[in-house]
Amino acid sequence: MSVRKGSIAKLVLSLGLSAGLLVLASCGGSSGGSSTSTNSTPVNNTQTIEVNLGPANNYVNGLFTDVTICVPGSSNCQTLDNVLVDTGSVGLRILSSQVTLSLPAISDSNGNGLQECLAFADGSYVWGPVQAADIQMAGEKAASVPLQIINAPNTGFAVPSQCVSGGGANEGTVTALAANGILGVGNFQQDCGGACTAASSQVPALYYLCPNSVCQSTSVPLANQLQNPVWLFPQDNNGVLISLPSIPADGAQTVSGSLIFGIGTQSNNGLSAAQVYTTDAYGDFQTTYNNIAYGQSYIDSGSNAFYFLDARTLGIPDCSDNAGFYCPASTINYTATNTGLNGTTAQVSFRIANADALFNANNASNAAFNDLGGDNAGSFDWGLPFFFGRNVFVGIEGQTGPNGVVGPYWAY
Amino acid sequence: MKTVLAALLVLVLGSAPAWAVLGEYESSVSSDQKVMRGEVRAVALQGYSVQQITGADRAVVKEYVSPGGLVFGISWRGPTMPNLQQLLGSYFAEFQQAAQSRVRRRGPLVLRTDRLVVESGGHPRSFHGRAYVPSLLPKNIPAEVVR
Repeated sequence: MSVRKGSIAKLVLSLGLSAGLLVLASCGGSSGGSSTSTNSTPVNNTQTIEVNLGPANNYVNGLFTDVTICVPGSSNCQTLDNVLVDTGSVGLRILSSQVTLSLPAISDSNGNGLQECLAFADGSYVWGPVQAADIQMAGEKAASVPLQIINAPNTGFAVPSQCVSGGGANEGTVTALAANGILGVGNFQQDCGGACTAASSQVPALYYLCPNSVCQSTSVPLANQLQNPVWLFPQDNNGVLISLPSIPADGAQTVSGSLIFGIGTQSNNGLSAAQVYTTDAYGDFQTTYNNIAYGQSYIDSGSNAFYFLDARTLGIPDCSDNAGFYCPASTINYTATNTGLNGTTAQVSFRIANADALFNANNASNAAFNDLGGDNAGSFDWGLPFFFGRNVFVGIEGQTGPNGVVGPYWAY
Repeated sequence: MKTVLAALLVLVLGSAPAWAVLGEYESSVSSDQKVMRGEVRAVALQGYSVQQITGADRAVVKEYVSPGGLVFGISWRGPTMPNLQQLLGSYFAEFQQAAQSRVRRRGPLVLRTDRLVVESGGHPRSFHGRAYVPSLLPKNIPAEVVR
């Protein structure tokens, strides 16, 4: 089922009112009237993506693309390059230093702007206000989408203590983030979902309001949360396909591929021979290795290696120069089995090479590696190396794909 | 006492469940349960016990307690990262140093020394991890029980 732009704008407003939040800006709706159904004339649904060293010239296995944002309902737009394509998160997050537009804030009825802190597994975090923009990629456009402006100046609020309690870096600069932003195109419609609509005393610490400059976590209606822009496209809105070619074992300087919107909606995004693995409600499936099942495993283009197990369990050394990566004396072949909630199960073969050697190959100029591995915390994290030589589909929750499959799911 | 008060304060402010502090003595669970509105389950096992709080936002924190009452391990899972500063207590500085000296890695974070092991993984909506102090493991109890 397609989503109409006009109805989204109304949804934002009505849900916002019901929870005491208002979208102050006159955003959305203005491009309505041209609503189209899923079967309308195909638009260009192919966005170029590239693995390269990124804007800080040091990103290993970073997958980047361009994203155009516009003041809602206007032709006042800018195109950001070097935005990280991340299937492990949801929503567009942009460094404030890269934004030249003045975008409308999403605020409560007292004018307190909605803020967000997203912490990642390594303790690093992004902090900043939620604003609205139209988002354009290829021929696709989503109207008036809540996004995060990372590290916005002059908010006057200290970063909440919970936000820094992961111990990691504030990813508020190009130097720290090593990207200009993050495009989260994971398995969900919103970054938080129903959990963040709960009563404030029970809500996860993700969104904040800061009256009198004191920030406290708050519940947020679904429509005001950060959105996966893909599900708000008028068409090609049930997921994405990431297609990257195979690369040599010692890596490649750059790798170009495609981020294709929709699954089975056009001639270029059919599942073909790909198998569907449905995930649990949290975006995880099961990976089995050596007869042990790891139930919170996942596919994540925003993780830059195969992160699995630990050196002692695998019987291989950690790197001396690059802590946290594996450095076997020679390349090792591994096989693990992925199983979806729907029972689809199949083996995955992958290889782990010596990371110290990989990073030094080709005068240390390679950015893309299909055999980079490191240790993890009791799950398999199928990071960007998994994507090389594959078509990987990311099905969005609640959206119907080919043969009636409903997200969340992966297919490859 | 100071630690307990700090934990309660954090809980009142709506952060992740956090009442156990690694390497310190087990604190009152029942009072925290009221604040969290969560469900507490305590299980006594051979050689150690586990206290588990399941929060309303699906967050689960387990504390692994030695017969002497020391918290030798913690584990977590939930939609957002837990308050590791609270959970790790005096061990937080070591983890923080590891987190901020990350080079090239973009993904889970694992700190493994003779003194402290912390493993933090997952993605938004589904984080998981554990931490333990090897020297505090009860006799004949392997680190694998912390999960």
